[in-house]
Formats: sequence, structure tokens, C-alpha cells
Amino acid sequence: MSWLSWLVLAIPGAAAIVSFLVPSRFGRPLTAVAGIAGAAVMIWDAFGNVEPRLDPLSALFLLPVAIVYGAAGVYTAWYVKAESRDDPAGERYRREFLVLTNGFACAEALVPLLSNMAGLWVALETTTILAALLVRLQGTDAALEAAWKYILIASCGLAIGLIGVLVLYAAAAPVLGAHHVPEWSAYLAVAQRLDPDAVRLAFILALIGFGTKMGLAPMHTWLPDAHGAGPTPTSAMLSGVLLSDALYVILRFAGITNAAVGATMSHRLFVIVGLLSLLIGAFFLLRQHDIKRMLAYSSIEHMGVVAIGLAFGAPLAIAGALLHVLNHAASKSLAFFAAGRLVERFGTREIAAIRGGVQALPVSGALFALAGLALAGFPPFGIFRSEIMILAGGFGGGSAWIAGIVAALLAVAFAGLVRWVTVTSTGNAAEPIEVGERTYVPAAAMLVGFVVVLGLGLVVPAPLGTLIARAGQTFERSP
Amino acid sequence: MMSHALTFAEAAAGSAAVALILTQLALFRSVVIPELITLYAVQSALVAAICAVVGITGHGWDLVVLALLTAAFKVIVLPAYMLRLVRGVSGRVELPVRVNVTLSILMAAALTGVAMLTASRLPLPAGGFSPRADLATTLAIVFIGFLFAILRPNALAQVIAFLTLENGLFFGTVTLAPGLPFVVGVLLLIDVLIAVVVFAVLVRILIERRATASIEAFSELRG
Repeated sequence: MSWLSWLVLAIPGAAAIVSFLVPSRFGRPLTAVAGIAGAAVMIWDAFGNVEPRLDPLSALFLLPVAIVYGAAGVYTAWYVKAESRDDPAGERYRREFLVLTNGFACAEALVPLLSNMAGLWVALETTTILAALLVRLQGTDAALEAAWKYILIASCGLAIGLIGVLVLYAAAAPVLGAHHVPEWSAYLAVAQRLDPDAVRLAFILALIGFGTKMGLAPMHTWLPDAHGAGPTPTSAMLSGVLLSDALYVILRFAGITNAAVGATMSHRLFVIVGLLSLLIGAFFLLRQHDIKRMLAYSSIEHMGVVAIGLAFGAPLAIAGALLHVLNHAASKSLAFFAAGRLVERFGTREIAAIRGGVQALPVSGALFALAGLALAGFPPFGIFRSEIMILAGGFGGGSAWIAGIVAALLAVAFAGLVRWVTVTSTGNAAEPIEVGERTYVPAAAMLVGFVVVLGLGLVVPAPLGTLIARAGQTFERSP
Repeated sequence: MMSHALTFAEAAAGSAAVALILTQLALFRSVVIPELITLYAVQSALVAAICAVVGITGHGWDLVVLALLTAAFKVIVLPAYMLRLVRGVSGRVELPVRVNVTLSILMAAALTGVAMLTASRLPLPAGGFSPRADLATTLAIVFIGFLFAILRPNALAQVIAFLTLENGLFFGTVTLAPGLPFVVGVLLLIDVLIAVVVFAVLVRILIERRATASIEAFSELRG
């Protein structure tokens, strides 16, 4: 790793340690500064020319961390104060929250930086532990249940993922030696000498195991609970970054599998889990009554879209899928932050009880509505662009039937999201509700996601376009 | 079929792998939590011993350290702590039995067969602990752990299912990939600690609410 990559880890890591040592009145601004500085360094690391340079896929997957940690740091600084009482218990809550949030960001940034497959598992498992502790901090029965369910399901999923790593390790032992370091680049270099059946089994185990963490159906059952019951900044970091981290690990396995046995198998499996996720996400969106669970189902839907883009295999579709990861990170963190403001103002997560969001919170409410439209795939936002790229790749690459089904399911998801966004944003509140933002700090955090998802809809900067194209080539290589 | 007679070491290794699977199968015939905890401790002792043997027979002293840590935590400290926790409540905990014991064990045996068939298709390397059985044993323990969690829908039993499943993973890590970093083994231990914390919280709720620890009590969060 370059010194810059070490700095990427050092900023949130140091912020976590210092937040533990100092009172939260210092820890809060520190977390905000760490978020902004961390994001800047991550973007520098992704695009800069510091040797040894990051692999394109690693560089690309550092960007969701940058987008979300940059915004979440600022949002958290406001959130922990607003959510806690001014007593010793409140101070303990604030400190724990700041330590865990920065630690969580550090573990999330570690995933794309690691080249050791076992290390990837270690980093993902660490995120599980930290995320569960964060969800538990809410202190409600629902949060306890969600944390318990999350630990159990995510750890069981990761258990299967670890067996995938073990199978790959054992398969590579005759070629690389019984005590080799399990680096993905080494496996990629010898992929064609690995036993094909072992590689296939390793990929299936990795897709099931790390797919659980990514929220792919049918392993998604923990996701609505954890995202719904967790604190708002945690939900944003879980949805915006952790899902993409898990995808990153799957793509490393896919690269080795495609190089060893061809891409047909990975494409077929991606189609199955992608369509299932899209189906479940889209139809559950129609019948949600909890605003944060609605966003959680939208995450399942979007992870399905990404999987389908990967399944189509055409360069345009793959570029669309990778761009979709960035768009989703930006728009979903924006949506969770804004939803958190609505929940705080209306005192409920029930969609039926939230009316006139824009009236009550002119900036946050409006941003929630825009985030909802972005997530639904409305132009001119980035998700519209990436979904069109994926569909065009599918229609153009000989997968017209599947692309047609995907378009129909996207229409269902569109209907669900637009309906709930309209209901919550427009009209007048049923009861007298305080009107006005009171503070613009959270709105400033939301602007990050908004600017990214709107900007990526209008134009994809040339360096990003090049990075996405090169990242796609790292795993889409046949023997 | 094996083409040569088993050496003593191979036979001992194979027997240890079988013993691991048997402790996993034995979970199904227990209907009280303390018995499940004891079984977990026995299984952990076997895994720790295997880890020590692999370490001593040439794969490095880090594995011996890991074996000692495993023995200290998973055989002595954590089971003792869990037994103390449930002393007052175990009488109240009823393990729901979705499928009767005989059928459960038959299903687990079938899963073991699936694990063996899957593993036998792969020309995995010689060496390791019990080369022909390493992957099969790992898969069997994980599969049976999942089956147990499904067939005994009780939160405490599911935590123990997770702990045994983790034993399977630990066995797989040590035997299939003894060169993997020490940190993987240590993190597996941290997983265990977290699971035990979850166990403690669940027991506390059980005491406070005088409720059963059935996961059906956890029904607020649904699709």
C-alpha cells in the first residue's frame, strides 16, 4: 500500500481513537473534519499518481466510501447531539457513537485497499461487528432484534464466504505452495492452472456468502431490519458503502472465476440473484409503511440492478453497473439523511403519518423528494443514466428478454417510490408541526450526495469514465 | 477409494474429524441449553487439539498459540460463563422441536453425505490434517449448524448453532489453509466473543421479561 492509502485508513482510525479519549464536544467537530479530510484523501488516492498506484477496481470502490463518509461525518456531528440527552448517559452514547462511526468508516475503507483475500474477509467481518454495535446503540427492542438478526445472518453469510476463500486457497496450494499469501493478483495470474471445479465452488460460496452482506435476494432478510432500525448515519453507511464493499469482494472472486473457467457461469448466477433481488425489492416497495424500510428495499432493488448489469457482460452494461454503485451510494445516503430529518420532525417512521415534508422542512423535505425521484430513476439524475446504460447493454448484447423484464420491474419500483415520495412530501401535515429547518448542518451533509447524483446524471468526468472502463476490465477477462 | 493402508496418524486424524461431526449431530438429541453448551465445549476441545497437532507437525507455532487461546476461551472460560448465565433460567427455556430427533439426525446425515460428495469432486491438495476429509468435515459441520438453527427456532439455541458453525470454520481454516494469517483465527475468536455477548443479552431479556427466548417473540420486524 502507498503512504496515501495508509493515510486513508489513518484519518478515520485516528478520529475513532481520539473520539474515545476526548469529550464529545470535541469529538463531534473532529468527526466532521475527519469525514471531509478522509473523503478528500480517498479521492486523491483513487485518482492521484502516488506509487504504488491503486488497482482500478480498488480505486473505484474507494469512491463510495469517500462520498458517504464525507457526508456522514458532518451529519453525525449534528445527529449525536440532537439524539441524546445532556447527562452522563447521553455523553457515553455520544462518545460510543463517534468511536464506532469512525471505526466503521475505517473498516469500510480498508476493504477496497486490501489485496489479501483472507484480509478482505477479516475487514468485512469487522464491519459486521461494528455495524451491529451501532444498530444496537438505538437501545430499542427493535434495534436489539435487528442487531441480533444482523449479526447472526451476516456472520453465517460470511462463514460461507470464508469457506469460499478456503476452497480457493486449497485449490491454489498445489500451484503457489501450501503456505502462500492469498493475494487476488496471484490467483488471477495462475487462474488457468487452478482446478476449475474448485474455482466454481469457491465462486458460488462467495456469491452466497458475500451476497448476504450485499443484500442480494434471497439472502437479504437482515437488511430491511438493520437499515430500518439503525441510527440514520449508520443506515446511510450500511446502505451506501457496505453493500458496495461486499460487491467488491464478489467482483474479485468473479475476476478469478472468469479468468479460470470463462464468464458464462458468473453471468448466469448474477442474472438469477439480480432478477430475484429486483423482483423482491420492487414489489416490497409497493407495500411499505415505514419510511426507512422503504429505502432499505430500494437498496435491495438497486443491488439487483447492479448484479444484472454485471450479468449482461457487455462493456456498456458493466460500466453502467459500476457507475450505478456510485450513484446509489450518493442518492441513498442523501435519502437516509433526509428521511432521518423527517422522522425526527414528525416523531414517527410511519409513512402514513408523514405529510407535507417539504412544508415542514423546506430544504431537507425537498431533498428527500429529490432523492426519491433520483432513486426511482428519474432524469436528469445519475441513476437514470446508469440504468439506461445497463438496459442498453442488455438489449444490445443479446439479452433483450431479460432487459425487458428488468425494465418492467424498474417501472414497478418507480411507481412504488414515486407514490411514497409524493405522499410524504406534498400536502399539509395532519397535526400542527413545527415549520423550518432550525439548523442547516444536516442539509449541508445532504448536499454532498445531491451534488454527486445530479452531477453524474449530467456528465461523467473523463477521469472517472476511464477509471470505470479500466475497473471493468479487471474482472471481465475470459481465459 | 484410498489406494494405500491408513497410517496411524491418518486414522487418528480421520477419527477426530468423525468425532467433530458426531458432536454436531449430538446437538439434535439435547433439549436443554446446558447440555448444548457442554457439547459445544467438547467440540471446541477437539478443534483446539486438532489445531495444536497441525501446528506441532510443521505448520508453525502461531497455530499452537491459537490452539491454546481456543482451549482457554472456547473450552473453559466461555462455556463456564454461559452455564452460569443460564443456571437460573434453563428450566424455563423450552427448545421447540420442529422435526423429531430421529428425522432431524437423518436429515443431518443426508447433509453430511452432500458435503462428502461435494468435497470428493474436488482434487484438493494432499497434506493438511486429514486431506480427504478436511473440506467435507468443514462443510458438514456448517450445513448441520444451519439445519440445527432452522429446526430449533430458539434464540439461545441459535447462538449455540452459530458457535458450533464457527468451530467448523475454524477447523477448515486450520486444516485447509494453515498458511492463512493468524488474524483470521483471532477474528473468528472475536466472533465467538460477540456471539456470547449476544447470548448474555438474550438471557438477560429472558430474565427481565420472564418470556421464552423463542425467536417468535421477536416479531416486530417483518417484510
